[in-house]
Amino acid sequence: MSGGFDRKPMGSSLLSKRGTGERIIYVVIFFLFVVYALALLLPFVWLFINSFKGGLEYLDNISDSKPFSWPTNFLFDNYGKAFSMFQYGDNTFFGMLGNSVWYVAIVTVEGVFFSACTGYVIAKYKFRGRDLIYSIAIVSMTIPIVGALGSSFKLSYDLGIYNTPLQPILSCAGGFGFNFLILHAFYKSIPWAYSEAVFIDGGNHFTAFFRVMLPMAAAPILTLSIMSAIGSWNDYSSVILFLPDYPTISAGLYFVKDDLIKESAPVYFAQLILSMIPIITVFAIFSDKIMTNLSVGGLKG
Amino acid sequence: MNASLNGKKLTPSMSGRNLKLGNKSRAGEIIFIIAMLAIPVINWLVFWLYVNFDSILLAFQNAYTQEWTTDNFVAFWSSLTRDGGDLKIAFMNTALYFLSSLVIIMPLSLFISYFIYKKVKGYKVFRIIFYLPCIIPASVLTTVFAEIVNPGGVVNVIMDWLHLSYPDHGILGTEGIKTAAIIAYTVIFGLGGDMLIFSSAMSRIPIELLEAGRLDGLGPFRELTRIILPLIWPTVSTKITLLMTGLFTASGPILLLVNGMHNDITISFWIFNTVRVTGDYGIVAAAGLCFTAVAIPLILGVRKIMGRFSEAEY
Repeated sequence: MSGGFDRKPMGSSLLSKRGTGERIIYVVIFFLFVVYALALLLPFVWLFINSFKGGLEYLDNISDSKPFSWPTNFLFDNYGKAFSMFQYGDNTFFGMLGNSVWYVAIVTVEGVFFSACTGYVIAKYKFRGRDLIYSIAIVSMTIPIVGALGSSFKLSYDLGIYNTPLQPILSCAGGFGFNFLILHAFYKSIPWAYSEAVFIDGGNHFTAFFRVMLPMAAAPILTLSIMSAIGSWNDYSSVILFLPDYPTISAGLYFVKDDLIKESAPVYFAQLILSMIPIITVFAIFSDKIMTNLSVGGLKG
Repeated sequence: MNASLNGKKLTPSMSGRNLKLGNKSRAGEIIFIIAMLAIPVINWLVFWLYVNFDSILLAFQNAYTQEWTTDNFVAFWSSLTRDGGDLKIAFMNTALYFLSSLVIIMPLSLFISYFIYKKVKGYKVFRIIFYLPCIIPASVLTTVFAEIVNPGGVVNVIMDWLHLSYPDHGILGTEGIKTAAIIAYTVIFGLGGDMLIFSSAMSRIPIELLEAGRLDGLGPFRELTRIILPLIWPTVSTKITLLMTGLFTASGPILLLVNGMHNDITISFWIFNTVRVTGDYGIVAAAGLCFTAVAIPLILGVRKIMGRFSEAEY
């Protein structure tokens, strides 16, 4: 996470004064960035425009090579159909939305909370096995285990959690990985005297963690939670594989794509637009936190 | 953070160093440690250790009869070395995805991060736009990409304007360039994540160092290579190490873009599809075991090489 050091602002230093050659470089870079930004944004403008067309009109525009042509009539009804036609098995749009919400909540809350627990204990407490657990956490991250998916799948069957909400509840309750590294580094930098102050006031270790140390990590926890929520909202492969009867919005879009895009591509585009709204909203609210709080330090072990 | 308590300056330390604990407190501490670590450790034992141990056993078992056998390794080797074998194709494609991440995506991200960090005009807006693909669902990105590169799509129209030829079936429908098109997708939409991490690391560099470089007459290129890169080396080496862990699992969204047709598959897609469709865990485990055995020394070697370069503290 950001170090929080007081830095001299770049604008007030001599770095803000650029020579002619350097200015030309910055102008060229600016135009390259504009081109790249347009390349990223225009497809979504295209998607939005085409989500209001009729199915046949869209196909006609494609065959006439007029992908950006304006809709003859704006069919706002496509967005109504996007709700009613977004159906996979017994799951409606709102069913899938519900699945997305609980799936994201489980993956995010468990993943970040347990990492805070392990990060705090390993950073702040001396006990036998501490170094071993830390080494295991690092090794688990850096050594690539390829091909264990079959075994994971088999384990889910054997435990009876395949295709049930227990699958993410049990499998995501891990406290190691990227979140652990970040929170471990954070707690290493926090003075132990904060906990001591709690003990002097009669509190115990749980009080120190839940009342003082966990709230102190609010900034990194928030950033990691947002990143985790975005990742799990967009995750489709884990859901397709382990929770086929509980499709999330992302997995549902994959399941219905082939049929719906043939039936009415603009309605499918409207579904895509709708699926982006929650995540874009979260990003709009927290973009500043995401942009300023994340960094990765050296990986040792 | 503000490291003080009641005006007294505090330093990071650990349990037991600053406070004498009685036996009761020590017991409380042990209970606390166990309570905090129990679930994550059990989770690791079951979902990492057991899964990987079982995967090794599965590699030596027939997936359907559970008899002990080395047939999985024979099948793996055959598929890896035979012309047209699934794993041979998957291996070649995976290598392309991995190389594109290492040679194209990471350097480009560093380059963009540098100019974002140096506050090129409009950098705040660019930073958000460049990061957008990281938050938008892959289902959306892949559909948009597929539609704009299809015949009659935006790219086709632009190519016509420029009087350049365009494949009749589009770049995603033409054998030989399909994988290149998917790699282009991963590059176009994959710069934002690394950009965020690198520019964040750069933001912690003391301005005084850059000013000293400027006084010595360093231009943007030498400033990046001589000052900034060495100073953010811990971040870069971490990224390279993490990238290396994806040596055999690098992939693009081939399920969403081309539905995983034979010539487009990667190792990770082959694993996903084999588990999902055929349920032949044995060959998946055998392949995984072999790839892991190759990857471990490579990663350790890369980490050692990375460690030889000085790590900056700032």
